[in-house]
This record gives sequence, C-alpha cells and structure tokens, in this order.
Amino acid sequence: MSATDVTRTDLPVVDVTPTDDEAPSTEGPTVAGRVARGLAWLALVWVLLCYPGNVLSPFDVPAFDANRMSEAVIFAIIGLSLNVLIGYAGQVSLGHQAFVGIGAFTSAYVVTDLTQEVVLGVLVAALVGAAQAVLLGLVSLRLTGLYFALVTLVYGVMAQQSIFAIESFTGGTAGKIAPRPTGFESDFRYYYFSLIGLALVLLVDWRMLRTKGGRALLALRENPRVAQTWGIDTKAYTLFAFGVSGLFAGLGGGLLAHRDLQVVANPFDFNLALVFVLMTTIGGLRNRLGVVLGSAFFAFLRNGYLVEKLKLEEGIGPIPGPLGAIDMSPEFAPLVFGPILLLLVLTRLPGGFGQLARPFQEWLAGRRFRWIPADDEVVVNDVRA
Amino acid sequence: MSAPETVLSTTGVSIRFGGVQALSEVDLRADRWEIVGIIGPNGAGKTTLFNCITGFYAATSGRVRFKGEDVTDLPVHQRAARGMGRTFQNVGLVKGSTVGENLKSAQHLQTRYGALGALFGSTRASEVEREATERARAILDLVHLGHLWDTRIAGLPYGIQKRLEIAAVLATDPELLLLDEPGSGLGPEEADELGDFLLDIRERFQLTIVLIDHHVPLVTRISDYMYCLNLGQVLCEGQPEDVRNHPDVVRAYLGIDPDAEVA
Repeated sequence: MSATDVTRTDLPVVDVTPTDDEAPSTEGPTVAGRVARGLAWLALVWVLLCYPGNVLSPFDVPAFDANRMSEAVIFAIIGLSLNVLIGYAGQVSLGHQAFVGIGAFTSAYVVTDLTQEVVLGVLVAALVGAAQAVLLGLVSLRLTGLYFALVTLVYGVMAQQSIFAIESFTGGTAGKIAPRPTGFESDFRYYYFSLIGLALVLLVDWRMLRTKGGRALLALRENPRVAQTWGIDTKAYTLFAFGVSGLFAGLGGGLLAHRDLQVVANPFDFNLALVFVLMTTIGGLRNRLGVVLGSAFFAFLRNGYLVEKLKLEEGIGPIPGPLGAIDMSPEFAPLVFGPILLLLVLTRLPGGFGQLARPFQEWLAGRRFRWIPADDEVVVNDVRA
Repeated sequence: MSAPETVLSTTGVSIRFGGVQALSEVDLRADRWEIVGIIGPNGAGKTTLFNCITGFYAATSGRVRFKGEDVTDLPVHQRAARGMGRTFQNVGLVKGSTVGENLKSAQHLQTRYGALGALFGSTRASEVEREATERARAILDLVHLGHLWDTRIAGLPYGIQKRLEIAAVLATDPELLLLDEPGSGLGPEEADELGDFLLDIRERFQLTIVLIDHHVPLVTRISDYMYCLNLGQVLCEGQPEDVRNHPDVVRAYLGIDPDAEVA
C-alpha cells in the first residue's frame, strides 16, 4: 500500500477546529516554573520512597503504619488488575477476592510447603491467578454484562467455600504461614518489596496500552463488531485481558500473604470484592494514577489508617454529634464512604477521581496548569450489557 | 488484462430469522478492480447480505467465496485478515478514542510483534509502531483530516466520522471494500465528491468495491455493475443504467407501474 504520495486536493478541507482551542505555548516553563516542578517531584518521591521507610525523614513512622502502607501499595496492584478487566475489557468481576485469595494461598504454599523462595512463590501465584482468570474468561465468552457478573460472584463465593477449605492447601482455619523474603523481613523493607511489585505492574500496564494489545482491548470493549472487521480476534483478546488481570491479582495476593505473614481464608469474602470494584471505579477506570490513588485510599480506610489519622471515630471534621455516632470502624468505613463517592463519580466525575489529578499530572509533565472540565471525558457505556 | 479474476462471489445465499426469509438464493459476483453497486428499498436485505459476506451472520444455506477460497465458515476477523474490509451504516469507529488511535487500531493485522517485544519496547516493536503511525497519518492526510489526529471521535460531525470510517477501513489494508451507505446524509454535491473519492481510492489502493447506497445517481455513476435487491431477492442485475431504468426496479422503489398510463 502506498498512501504517502498524496496529491489529490479536490476534497474540501473541512473546518473542524481541534478541541484544544488554547494554542499550546511553544515555550517551556519559566525558571520559577522549573524550580516549582522540581520541588513538587522531589516531594512526591520523598512521600513515596522516604517517608514510609523513615529514610531522610524527620518523622518517625511506626512499623505498624509502614505495614498499612504496604497494604495500600498491594491494593493498588489489585485495583490495576480490575482496571484491566472493567476498564479495558468491559467485564465486571465480583469474584476478585477469590483471585487474590488463591494467589495468597498459592504463594504461601509454595514458600512454606515446597520451601521455595518468596519471589518464586509470588511469581507462581501470579501465574495461577492468570490461569484461573482465563478459565473464568472462557465463561465470559458466552455470557456478558449482568449474567457474567453473577457468575463471577458465584465463583468467588464458591472458591471461598471449597478451595479455601482444602486443608493441605490453606492450612484450614489456622491458616498458612507466609514468611517474608530474605532482605525484606522488616515492615519497612517489605514496603519497598511491594513497591517493586507495583512498579512491575505499572510497567506492564503502560506498555500494554501503548501497543497493539491495549488498542485491541479498547476497540473491542467499545465496539466489538468494528474490532472484528479490523481483524481483531475478540475472543482471544478477551481471554488475554482476563489473563493479564489474573496475573496482577495473583501477584497482589502473593504480596498480601507475605505482608500478613500468615494467610487465613476469612478476609477473602464478598465484602472485599465489593471494595475492590468500588476503589477501581471511584479512582477512575482507564486512569492509572486514579486507580492507584483510589485503591490506596480504600486500603487506608479499611485498615484504619485514615480513621485514626483523621480521628473519624470522633465525627467528621468539625461536625461532632450524629455523624460521630456512626460506627466508623475500619470495616465499615469503605461501605460508608464508598457509596457516597460512587454517587459523586456517577453524577459529577464520569472519569473517576483520577480526573481531578489530570491537571496536576499535566503540570508536572511541564505543561501549563489548566483546569479540564469534568465532562471532558464522558465514559458512560463501560460495562457491556 | 487477462480474464477478470472473481474476488467475491456468493452462491445461493439464504438466511431466515424465525419466520422471516431475509435473503433467498442471492448470487452476487464482484471481479477484481470492479465497483459493484447494490441498491434496493429499505428492508430489501442489503445490509443482511453484507453481514453474511463478512461473517456476522451465518447463512442458512449457500456459500461465500473470497479470492477463490470458501470463507463461509470463517469468523469475521479471519475474513478481515484475508483482505475484507467493511464499513457500517452507523459509523464503525471506536468513538471514545482519538482519530489517531482509531487509525492505528485498524492496522491491528499489520502491526506484528510479540508480547515480549511490546513489553520491553524492542527495536522491532518500536519500528513497527512508528511505521503504523506514519501510515495512519498518510491515510488521514489522504482524506484531508490530518489536523484531527488528537481529536476524540465522539465530538466530530457525522459527515467527518463517515469519512474517517473509510480512512480506518483503508488502514486495514483491504483488497475488497464493502461500503454500507457511505453517502447517507450527504447532499448531491457531497455525494459527487464521495464518488470521485471512491474512484480515486480504488486506483490508489487497488481495490474492489461493493457499495450499498440509497443515493441511486451516485451508485449508477461509479458502478461497473449493479444489483437491485428487493424482499431478500435479486430483482435484477446488469449495467447500472439498465438496472436503474428497469421497470421492476422503478416499481419496487415507487410502488407503481411505470407502464401504466398516468390519468
């Protein structure tokens, strides 16, 4: 095909001005701008890398809180896993706690019973996660929307009742020991171990979206018929999305197991699956930063970090009284905040809360700070019915 | 040129939906380099025929052959891989994505690299990606919409979307182009331009084109051969002018007998 030799001019040039009506300035930021951005980057890196580990930090974060931060990082991995499924492939999963749980038990089993390295355990957990997700994906080729969501729900509950009850695999009610990897035994160091996991997941997600696999997924989510006429094997790519999602979920599960030092079946219930879906959607589907922030937020709500730091058990902000009377125990906090935030997303922020971070992202990347109206990216038809 | 090669043929294609015989025994042929027009009133089964040809519907009986190969039992994407491209009545684009992304997604089959290459950004993967971007830009310039590269499809006017859809299907590198009402919503002048454009891309991309449209003058002008469908059957076929003036065709369209004396 040779389309480069374009000579024809009789089709009129249609006057459609690009949506970006503000002409992007060709000059870079000013010196002050550069300094401000540099400082902002430095602060971000410090919060992410130094603060939790008490490195170059005047604060003294207790080990207990570092552990909570690890959980936030791991939740971000799980959020990105669901983002692949819901955001890219348009399939909802209400059984993701089972993916994560099986990952956790697999890693613990490989490390404790087969006496292998933790890194290997976590990798096997990721692969097992991918395998079970592909199996569930095969079902999704026949069922979509609500019906498939029901299948995932049943799968999650079923896994809880059956797989998690296999004593040799899960250690029964006592659970399974899951030691930390060598060199990352302390809670502070394990935070960095989790962070490496998140970095890997972000890398895979970023590369996937920039290449043909990601493009194929976005096309088939929105318009499977058109995707097919472009030669995209929609079935294969749906399974691919499930595989990647399962890979991330299994990895998250493995990391969670070794963070807790011991895996028990109880926490992997339907409640957790709901939190996963909430945090991903509220963070913002197809918005990497949004998903990471949303997931971390919900992790901090669940593990009591936010309740403790913001003194939520005494009431919200300056308002004591009735709100204070609400049971703000960490277990309930996500289920109180979740619906409120979800309502906000549905009515005001179709792109999730990550949308609010976009202007800051742009600014950090060296462009002008420009407030993008919330309805810039309307995303309504997300889950195929 | 030697004897024309048949690119597409359907033989005895029939399809039933419940009690409705949507197509019965449709024989259609398109030779290389030909533009074949299909006209017919609403509900004649034109789009249904396209769906059988491209594989969205499985014909109840009959065969579809493409470039000498029986493709009747192949799924849509495999027919696309063999060089079948089509457009849709309601614009077939990924509307939430930008123009550039659409034109790159459409090149799915030509962007060949492994998953690992994609993951680590191998030189091959980046080279293929760069080529895809260049080809997409070239095709976009061809339809004079190069300035829309970063624009989301959803906000664009219908006419632009229709033109972009053809650009996207050209990006799939097809040999056969099945166009479902490319002229819908166009005025007479614009339809004229579309006709010139189709003649031009046939030459440029070495295409065979099968074209459905209600714009009969447009179809008549650019087609080498024309079919008229009515009620799921081929009403008549032949040279465009002959088909257009055929009494059966006039009757099917207007519901009157052209030979009858007007009182």
